[in-house]
Amino acid sequence: MNRYLQYLGLCLAGLLCLPALADEPGYPVTNPFLATIVGTPPQLVWPVPEEPQVRQADLSVRVLPERYLPPVLSQYRDLHYRLAWHNKPAPLVFLIAGTGSGYDSPRLDYLKRAFWNAGMHVIIMSSPTNHDFIAAASRSGLPGLGKDDARDLHSAMSLAVEHARSEKELEITDYRLAGFSLGALNAAFVAHLDQDLQQFNFSRTLLLNPPVDLYASIHRLDALARTQIDGVSSADSFYEHIFQKLARYFEASGGTDIESGLFYGIQSSDEALTDAEMATLIGAVFRFAAADLNFMADLITEGGRYAPAGETLKVSTSLTPYLRRALFCDFSCYLETQLWPNWSSRNVGKSMEDMAWETSLQSIESFLRNNPDIAALTNADDFILTADNYRFIAETFGERAFLYPHGGHGGNLQYLDVMKQILAFMEGEQP
Amino acid sequence: MISRIFKGMAVVCVLLASTAALALDQIPEYRDPLAELTIDSEGNNYQFEHSSLRALKIHDPIEGFNRRMYRFNGQFDRYVYLPAVNAYVKVTPKFVRSGVSNVFANLADVPNLANSLAQGKMQKSGRTTARLLLNTTIGVLGIFDVAKAFGLPQEPEDFGQTLGYYGVPEGPYLVLPLLGPSTLRDTTGRAVDWSIEDAAAFLDNRSYMNDNPWSYGLYALNLRYINNFRYGSLDSPFEYDQVRYLYIKLRELQIKR
Repeated sequence: MNRYLQYLGLCLAGLLCLPALADEPGYPVTNPFLATIVGTPPQLVWPVPEEPQVRQADLSVRVLPERYLPPVLSQYRDLHYRLAWHNKPAPLVFLIAGTGSGYDSPRLDYLKRAFWNAGMHVIIMSSPTNHDFIAAASRSGLPGLGKDDARDLHSAMSLAVEHARSEKELEITDYRLAGFSLGALNAAFVAHLDQDLQQFNFSRTLLLNPPVDLYASIHRLDALARTQIDGVSSADSFYEHIFQKLARYFEASGGTDIESGLFYGIQSSDEALTDAEMATLIGAVFRFAAADLNFMADLITEGGRYAPAGETLKVSTSLTPYLRRALFCDFSCYLETQLWPNWSSRNVGKSMEDMAWETSLQSIESFLRNNPDIAALTNADDFILTADNYRFIAETFGERAFLYPHGGHGGNLQYLDVMKQILAFMEGEQP
Repeated sequence: MISRIFKGMAVVCVLLASTAALALDQIPEYRDPLAELTIDSEGNNYQFEHSSLRALKIHDPIEGFNRRMYRFNGQFDRYVYLPAVNAYVKVTPKFVRSGVSNVFANLADVPNLANSLAQGKMQKSGRTTARLLLNTTIGVLGIFDVAKAFGLPQEPEDFGQTLGYYGVPEGPYLVLPLLGPSTLRDTTGRAVDWSIEDAAAFLDNRSYMNDNPWSYGLYALNLRYINNFRYGSLDSPFEYDQVRYLYIKLRELQIKR
């Protein structure tokens, strides 16, 4: 009987707690798609110095001297990375970009400024799925496998840090690691690999909006681009539909300023984008990233699916026909047509599920669970996660899981409280 | 019977307690944003594909030349233009750079006004006239953008937009040396705007600039300084294709404004 009372007490407590949580001030954008697109309203952004104030440089290293690249890709012979540094001994943070993002992505530039301002050196690495990394640093040319990508990243990071040391006379006290989205999954695998190699001995590893089961997240992202939109028939162009909305909005508003607060303005007007439209936009951005990945992986492995295998791509060669073809292949299609055939030939008798498992955080669960220096940050409405994925993060990281109710996929990363938490963890004294 | 009710209550409570326990631990409850969308099964919806294919249809008859020029501009940017701009940023305080931007912006309000008038946009012309008067006088020859502080931000109108306003099609896509993406219509527009500035001789700026050639260098530095575009920032081997589409669409939007 006492047990029942306890349950009842818990029931009531639960009911009381929920409205209390909802009333708390916090990140204000409660629509996950809008949050992902607009990020944090300027007045709620954790302040960081402006770009020109940061002591920084874009540098490059040759990772794969034997790699042949056609003239059109010649600028990717060396792997570029971005370094922000101090003229005194400091910890160095590696930042790994997300799907289809490079070392120069604006989202990571913000994190760079925040970490640099907190007294750390920062090196930003391109995502192993980004075209420059595939060309310059992916040994197989086929990114998307947790362990292989971690090996490629780890050797590129070693070269970059040696290079930065000699170029800028960097003095490094210890190493830290953070990644966003797919870059967060990469960071977890790099930290895991480094435990064996004992090279960097990361004192802090932070996973920002990580996928848990990469291939589950991929299917969810692919699905976004197939969202049905009211008022757009199969004969209409979705982009035209969006541009017409924008044009009507500018006409109605008398159109003064095209940049400042564009999205906030339009979302409070009659031309506000619907959830379906925003989801499709996000899905479309990922589909273009998938097209880049398909094209680059195929080019490096000489598959001949998009650009003919024998042809030399010159600077003047039109890549448009190849883009047209690659646009038809989403992330799931990449897995099936390029990654799986290669992987299964090296892992005879194993299934697609085995391949998926090996690129999931579940496969390194005990490493993540028992390591007090690794934390994860995500949102309850991050659309790359399933309910199970979300629960996995909460349970595996326990107190080191920083969970927020709203923000979509990384929309709240610049928000005051969130950035405070990120810095508190990354700056934490060495245990 | 009573025990069955208790058992039933217990089950309900256990279910609720599990959510209550989460709330007590302050774990926000999972919400699936995809659950509220209607998503077609694979092979059923080619909206993304056909919209994207359509977006790639842009009249670009000298694509080979344009692609080479695009690459040249990117290299020039990387090795010459941006380092120069970075040096400019390093040696000048921000208020000087803003002053320089404002002076050139004030001069540009002359063709902005001419083109607003040419399109019969009387209110916009009025606002731009007020800007010119305020910024040239109180703003000390345009060094300070006081009009913006009074709620009159700059409203760019170029001759390419005027042509577009009267229905002139954009013509073939062009990548200009150093200046970047354009079309035949917009390149013509640029030339006309340049001669409007020449003819207006506002504040005698052209003869002053001709007497002091360094001012053209400053003009070029400022041009890059106020432009946030960075080559490679679209993170795609297909950046040329994407920039081409975005340029055409942004111009369409500007013309409709």
